[in-house]
Amino acid sequence: MDEKIISKQNLVNFCKDIVANGHNLLAPGKTEYNLIQDPSEIVLDTKSKPTKASYKTFVFPKAEPILYYKRGKNDVVMLDAKVDEKKTVIFGAKPCDTNSFNILNKIFNWDYKDDFYNERVKNFIVIGLMCEYSDRYCFCTSVGSSPVSEKGSDLFLVPIDENNYAVRIVTDKGKEFIGAYSKYFTEGAPEKSKAAEEKVKQPEVAFDSKQVHEWLGKNFEHPKWDGVGDLCLSCAQCAFVCPVCHCFDLVDEDYSYTEGRRMKNWDGCQFGHFTLHASGHNPRDIQGKRYRQRINHKFKYYVDKFDEILCTGCGRCSRGCAVSIDIKEIVANCTD
Amino acid sequence: MEELKKLAKELLENKTVAAVIGYQQVDDKRTKPIIVTTPEDASKLVFNEYCLNNLAVYLTKARIKNLAKQNGTTLKLGIVAKPCDIHAIVALIQESQLKREDVYIIGMNCHGVVKDYGMDFSGETLATKCTPCDSHKPLYSDSNLGEVKDTPKVSDEVLEKIQAVEKMSHKERFEYFKKEFDKCIKCYACRAACPLCYCQRCITDKTVPRWVESSPHSRGNFSWNVVRAFHLSGRCIGCGECERACPMDIPLSLLNRRMTETAKQAFAYVSGRSLDTPTLVGSYDVKDSDELFM
Repeated sequence: MDEKIISKQNLVNFCKDIVANGHNLLAPGKTEYNLIQDPSEIVLDTKSKPTKASYKTFVFPKAEPILYYKRGKNDVVMLDAKVDEKKTVIFGAKPCDTNSFNILNKIFNWDYKDDFYNERVKNFIVIGLMCEYSDRYCFCTSVGSSPVSEKGSDLFLVPIDENNYAVRIVTDKGKEFIGAYSKYFTEGAPEKSKAAEEKVKQPEVAFDSKQVHEWLGKNFEHPKWDGVGDLCLSCAQCAFVCPVCHCFDLVDEDYSYTEGRRMKNWDGCQFGHFTLHASGHNPRDIQGKRYRQRINHKFKYYVDKFDEILCTGCGRCSRGCAVSIDIKEIVANCTD
Repeated sequence: MEELKKLAKELLENKTVAAVIGYQQVDDKRTKPIIVTTPEDASKLVFNEYCLNNLAVYLTKARIKNLAKQNGTTLKLGIVAKPCDIHAIVALIQESQLKREDVYIIGMNCHGVVKDYGMDFSGETLATKCTPCDSHKPLYSDSNLGEVKDTPKVSDEVLEKIQAVEKMSHKERFEYFKKEFDKCIKCYACRAACPLCYCQRCITDKTVPRWVESSPHSRGNFSWNVVRAFHLSGRCIGCGECERACPMDIPLSLLNRRMTETAKQAFAYVSGRSLDTPTLVGSYDVKDSDELFM
């Protein structure tokens, strides 16, 4: 893998150029990834806490129109919704976020190819940053990633000293992208970034995902589900801050009697009405069944179907849970 | 907290309660809710400045209520409650969601809780809901436990923010709330964490007809957040759980606190303070001023 070096000052210049070239630039803030106007405001910190919300909304928006319709006298005319083709550069993403597209690509390109998602991902440049943050909720190392994983990044930054970053060129897309900004980069020194990387404290591995997968296959009926279910308040905080939860709802919204649009909105499997049938029957009528679904979808069904764990180990769901339900602890206890 | 563990154990042993809804320690600066159903597990209960949850939210859950039904009789549900949480319990009783005799309130004396887990308790980290609080001892309880300590004195941040928002022009205020509501992702964590959002079927979940747009765009988010603020007017007891649960950091307490102040000024009413008073909406009088609505 090719590697370059960029100084802190040039990193700001690089970002300024990205904005000047008319691209969207995103960087992590406290609550969410923010659209940046002035790159000198960006604080790149490997020790920062993950944002409360992931950046999936930029490729899979919380609400997006997928078609528009107009009622005529005897017909309905449908118009396609267009995706903004602007290039978006995400800057300083944590490895637990960068891996999300690899996981989401599978579901959005399975039986149906989701143009809205694919178009946005195509125009996305992911610049990852090594992570030195770790709290009781982090478990990237338990789901096959790590704080220095380049998975999902096009370019990956590793701080090598106070003033410089190593820039690993992970994909051809990344290589092509920095081509236009080559004046900011100098030749790399991989031994330095390697040394920096080795110093990073890795979160302890909390569970063996293969064993969890096996246990889930045998314990669909288990009292633990009701135990968690009785404490869970059935909101969708966990699903909506998750970088890889991808369920959505389709809703038609009329502006008037003659015009409207079809919306694709995030939906969450912990809502009681998520599986409510028109007949009134609800196969997941109590919270325990819904929580069981959440864990099984992430650590069993998605693995069975796509050979990928539907989780990046970022710990957002647990960190933000109003009743402190800790997914790492629950999954780690999926063992005999 | 030995007295809490001892009391809970006794209540469970002598079948006064079917369960105790309380807090369990996770690490030294973090707790989580626990539903204790056996005397042995009573030893897990704790109470300290990290007991952030308003556990009254569990009292209206069907499966929790069912715990109380044992062998043809109905036992009480025990709950470890801060004085502010007790306001929620009182409001639930006022609104006929609960009977006083259904619940055994283990009322804890309280001098405030932290804003978030992992923080050292001090004036700086005191939860904003605690700064204007004057309820350090339970108004109602079946047992009253815990030390009485002074709450750190700090300025009332929420009130200051409300005053700042009130000084804005209509347009500025609209823009301010639009920016905040635009962050909303409609995860409904606010609703889920709220002890007074107990509707079996929330108006936002109704689809035929759809009253509140389900899309989390500006219009849909305005609808939801304003509907909720209206619905809680004169009902919100100010536990701040909605704001704490919000993953998008929307300052929901500005709305709720403002409505609470309005109810206080216009009707001399504060929710959840008296079991002998009807609810604000329930005590409508034709002589009431229309000024607030017109």
